[in-house]
Amino acid sequence: MKTRIDIGILFSRSGPYRLLAEASYRGAMDAIAAINADPERRIEIVGIVRDPAGNTDRYASLCADILATSSARHIVGCTTSWSRKEVIPNLEKAGGTLWYACPYEGFEASEHVVYLHACPNQHLVPLLAHVLPRFGSRAFFVGSNYIWGWETNRVARDVVGDVGGTVLGERYLPLGDTDVARLIEEIRATRPNFILNNLIGPSSYAFFRAYGDLCRSDPAFSPRTCPILSCNLTEIELPEIGPSANGHLSVGPWFAASTTDAAPSPSASSFYAAAHSAVSVLADRLTDEIRGGAGAMAFSDRTFKTRLGPIRIDPNTHHTSLPVRIARAQDGRFEVIEAEDGLVAPDPYLSRYDPARLMGRRTLRVVS
Amino acid sequence: MSARSRIPNLGGAKAFILHRPHATTLALSRSLSAIGLVPVEAWPELPAGGLAADFVFFDADLGFDEQFPWRAGEAPMPLIALIGSEAPGRIEWALGQGADSHLVKPVGGSGVYSALLIARRSFDARRNLAREVESLKARASERQTIVRAVVALSEGGVGEEQAYAQLRTLAMSWRVTIEDAARRIVDLKTGGADERSRCL
Repeated sequence: MKTRIDIGILFSRSGPYRLLAEASYRGAMDAIAAINADPERRIEIVGIVRDPAGNTDRYASLCADILATSSARHIVGCTTSWSRKEVIPNLEKAGGTLWYACPYEGFEASEHVVYLHACPNQHLVPLLAHVLPRFGSRAFFVGSNYIWGWETNRVARDVVGDVGGTVLGERYLPLGDTDVARLIEEIRATRPNFILNNLIGPSSYAFFRAYGDLCRSDPAFSPRTCPILSCNLTEIELPEIGPSANGHLSVGPWFAASTTDAAPSPSASSFYAAAHSAVSVLADRLTDEIRGGAGAMAFSDRTFKTRLGPIRIDPNTHHTSLPVRIARAQDGRFEVIEAEDGLVAPDPYLSRYDPARLMGRRTLRVVS
Repeated sequence: MSARSRIPNLGGAKAFILHRPHATTLALSRSLSAIGLVPVEAWPELPAGGLAADFVFFDADLGFDEQFPWRAGEAPMPLIALIGSEAPGRIEWALGQGADSHLVKPVGGSGVYSALLIARRSFDARRNLAREVESLKARASERQTIVRAVVALSEGGVGEEQAYAQLRTLAMSWRVTIEDAARRIVDLKTGGADERSRCL
């Protein structure tokens, strides 16, 4: 007889970042279905689903609602850092835990959050280390006007400064804004070596498309000479951008294998893989808990087998040791062009960041 | 405009927690390790190694002056008060120690990082200010020396204004402050080149 366990599912399947949230939602729900269908498993998970529809103000109340109206103590959810910060006080009050499976800007280690996706030493820093020596150090930063863009760009400014580079501009658009003409004009005028893109959703798609037009009118802005860098771009968003995504760079713990000819499935995204992994690790810990083991939050140093591959969760920071891949978009997929050996341990506060080691990394191997 | 501060790198910094063993010290140690610091718990006295700490957290509730190997208000590192009871006497005592920031007990996961950054910034600001005041005081106390040097230089019949200009030129060519240049001139004139002027 299986023990039924409620788990909260809190994703915005509509609104500006619905594509990312939908991938996360499907990852979590597919993992739940797989666990429930497994006769060997001693638990059956019941998803308590709430949808804030992209409205940041609804996350805290829906989180409170899950914790109050069900027996769920664990919630898989949130896409933006803004929404994550909204729910933490509720989790602290009720003793709940958020399983957060999206890349984020770091500088947080809540006891009430498990961080399954990359933090800056696993996305931004290796991506810049790849790009700065190859393309140059004249940078232009764009971002959506909230904490992800601000903080990611702040760290990037330091990294660019450490190699003697220049930040030619730093511009923000409100979430959902698609008026990118001025950004494009500024980029045309300042002629950077690369653009760091922390825009999300429709703003990002509009920016890629407009930059594609710029490239067609002025080849100096081709991705071969001036790429757009993103730390959160995955396969699921490429169809929205279209051919203008080709040649631009992203970084993440997982990219779909590019060996098949079939169109990428909705599950082809590290957002899907990370949310799926969150549920597998959580199910593992809950099973241990009902067996009288060390409890759901005892991660020790063991390895979990997940969609992201074998991963480890640091018991101290609740962040995950992850693979790091740098990839180039091409025709709706990503081609991995550089990969770190093994897993990269999380460093959410960049307390081990060393500018001297940044450019002299020997752990990288070129894979294509 | 002052330069924008960089990624605050606290990796490997040592933080002493002067508090009896308690849920607060446990939560604080966890947060500090997560941020990348090395926490060391101690009670009731700060051990010798505490002098080399980068940060010291101290209990404002049960703390007392003799815990610290320095005089109240003269800690050589940023101090962060752990405040439980908000009794005015205890807050006053914590302020007397020179707390640069504080955390309210019970300490959870949040607030630790900002307390560290605020403490470090205000400690640095306080130290720089103290240094500046000290050097200004030293210079102010040399006013009489400057007057004597100008008088000495104008003995040859040059006017006071020209003598002062000459003093400034000498200070510049010797690459010392105008006060130090004045001190040398006075020493030379009085023939009593003391130990200090020979060292200059």
